[in-house]
Amino acid sequence: MGSRDIVENFKISARQFAILVILFSIGTTILVIPGVMAQEVKQDAWIAAVIGTGIGLLLVALYIAVGRMFPTKTLVEINETLFGKWLGKAVSLTFILFTLYSTVQLLFYVGSFLTTQIMPDTPIEAINILFACILIMGVRLGLEPLARSAELLFPIFVFLFLVLVGSIFLPPVQFKFENIQPVFETGIKPMIHAVFLFSSIFSLPLIVLLMIFPVSVNQPKAAEKNFFIGILIGGICLIIIIALTILVLGADSSARQTYPSYLLARKLNVGDFLQRIEAIMAIMWIITIYFKMAFYFYATVIGLAQTLNMKDYRPLTVPFGMIVVSLSILIHPNVVHSTTFDKEIWPLYASTYGLVLPILLLAINVFRKKIHQK
Amino acid sequence: MKRSYTMFIILIVFLLFTTGCWNRRELNELAITMAIGLDRTKDGQYLVTAQVVNPGELATGKGGGGSGGSPTIIYQAKGETVFEAIRKMTKESPRKIYPSHLRVLVIGESLAKKGIGKPLDLLSRDWEIRSDFYIVVAKGMKAAEILKVPTSLEKIPANQIFDTLKVSATAWSATSFESLDELISDIVSEGKQPVLTGIQADIKGDEETSLSKQNGEMIDPPARLRFKGLAVFNDDKLVGWLNEKQSKTYTVITNKEKSTVVNIPCPKGGKAVYEVKKSNTKIKGKIKNGKPEIDLNIRVEGNLGEVECHIDLTKPETIEKLEKIYEKEAKKFFINSIKQVQKNEKVDIFGFGEAIHRADPEAWKKLKKDWDKNFENLPVNIEVQGEIRNVGTVGNSFLDKIK
Repeated sequence: MGSRDIVENFKISARQFAILVILFSIGTTILVIPGVMAQEVKQDAWIAAVIGTGIGLLLVALYIAVGRMFPTKTLVEINETLFGKWLGKAVSLTFILFTLYSTVQLLFYVGSFLTTQIMPDTPIEAINILFACILIMGVRLGLEPLARSAELLFPIFVFLFLVLVGSIFLPPVQFKFENIQPVFETGIKPMIHAVFLFSSIFSLPLIVLLMIFPVSVNQPKAAEKNFFIGILIGGICLIIIIALTILVLGADSSARQTYPSYLLARKLNVGDFLQRIEAIMAIMWIITIYFKMAFYFYATVIGLAQTLNMKDYRPLTVPFGMIVVSLSILIHPNVVHSTTFDKEIWPLYASTYGLVLPILLLAINVFRKKIHQK
Repeated sequence: MKRSYTMFIILIVFLLFTTGCWNRRELNELAITMAIGLDRTKDGQYLVTAQVVNPGELATGKGGGGSGGSPTIIYQAKGETVFEAIRKMTKESPRKIYPSHLRVLVIGESLAKKGIGKPLDLLSRDWEIRSDFYIVVAKGMKAAEILKVPTSLEKIPANQIFDTLKVSATAWSATSFESLDELISDIVSEGKQPVLTGIQADIKGDEETSLSKQNGEMIDPPARLRFKGLAVFNDDKLVGWLNEKQSKTYTVITNKEKSTVVNIPCPKGGKAVYEVKKSNTKIKGKIKNGKPEIDLNIRVEGNLGEVECHIDLTKPETIEKLEKIYEKEAKKFFINSIKQVQKNEKVDIFGFGEAIHRADPEAWKKLKKDWDKNFENLPVNIEVQGEIRNVGTVGNSFLDKIK
């Protein structure tokens, strides 16, 4: 099969994979989620994040189980093996639509964040086109350069994260424990909803990583362990950010902000001289969102190339990059539409692929084995 | 070779896009606004006053530069919304109002009585405005009148207001600085009502000189800006003013007090001064027999700053005695002030409702519906613990030797 070469040329190490998992799971979440969670469960948002991280670990176990079935196949190929050729291709196409939509959505986030918070007079097209250029460039270069650049940028991310968190604990201390009290005030129902929302952004999209895991990873065994470690670290980062946002800003103010963690960084003040470090937050977010977007986009083009039995995915990158840019401007008429979509439709959309699809694949595999035994 | 040419061209194209010049705004295109005043006109419109820095005049200290003009300029515009009024200012200002360095927002009393919520939305929404400015209420006057008073120690009146508020809040603690986020949180909170510091312009003599630049050049300027009392809000509407004693109680209970001085009577007549260095208040709410109750635990640490009476400071017992007196006096002081607020303003500015909420979320659900009523009759138990650490550089006062 010609399409096999597409992925087999790339190999990344287990360590690089762990870093990718961390960046991918933090991705968009870091900027938007504290506000969304505070709207749902107020001061208990951090509890929802703790539960959500636990669920993330379970989901990772599920994805690893799917990966183990066919260690040399990507998700798209697994679809074809298990569902049969034509049904498999159909499922893969809808999956590609899902990853394409996600790429577009992330590009929309980048544009709308930069134009509301940092560069309001710059046309959104200019930002999106530039960002898409780096995206196409990264994906054309392939998985290995992407993974290596993630390895290079990761220490910067960690450093900025530590600066941000550390500066909250330096005087003048700005957090109030009253802000997270009373604990467990919200009922079960809003809590379940909040955890669902959290998972839909944090852990359900990890299904996309099945396009590179375990096919393109050097040491699959070590990578499995790192998958867990990565999601755990990502989850802890988010729990810290959510808790700090609420401790400093209060549940109410976090819920009202579009980008609460950005405001958090804006309010930080270390000894009256280290101030206005919101750019740190923006840089961190740009780093993580880039890698999340790159993997969505990578999954889109690789998936399509494999579904269509193409020899190389590179010819798809530029045309699809153009589609992504134009869709990113067309997809939501305004920011309100986007947030409503994220809250009401996205969780269901994400769980179709992040939960239903892998369970279905596992079930079919077990069923097939039984038939073979007979 | 061909490849490196294409890369070169791509790089050049990138350079054109990424110069960062798209949103460039040179310093000489900005009207750096240090203070904004909001008032309500008779026909229900907003009158927005902006105090803008005149950078040329500020540089006068370093010889040359500046023609002796005023360091700040006032621009005013009316509009049905705040944003409209601010944009209308471009009709008389050669530069666009740039509010990122805003230090003070002054709200006129008549607008405060009508409600400050609506105009505050713009300030929380606009991306150019940072939330680190202070908000004050012009007591009994218009915000515009406050912003027209020239000052001398700080050339820019907005800076004078900002620094005075900061210094007085840390050294005297009868004023409170509230940032925009805190204010909005208090407005929407059901268990705590907002409080803002009041400001007044005292103008003696004729307005001609006192509002001109001369005011800043005089040794005893006829026009001065002075903070006065705290404005109490019910949601976003001004309902009353606290006097000095109540204001101090407010800063102590809400843990905003940094340092202050308190006169205490000596055992045998005369007065001593207790300088508060540290103050920490714990508010605990509880439900007793189905009724809410508040326990306040106030811990104060400080020094003896002035002794104007005959006491023997060489003995530890004297210090203990003084501590006891302070605790008794302070308790009386706080209880009286809280009772007055409960009786007169009838709104929970201390955050007692939030304490009940934290302690018993279930009970709070029932109580919050008419919390103001509950607040009126809320029993408050106060425990004050005062400690005297130092007595200054001398032991017994030389006053002992004067007969």
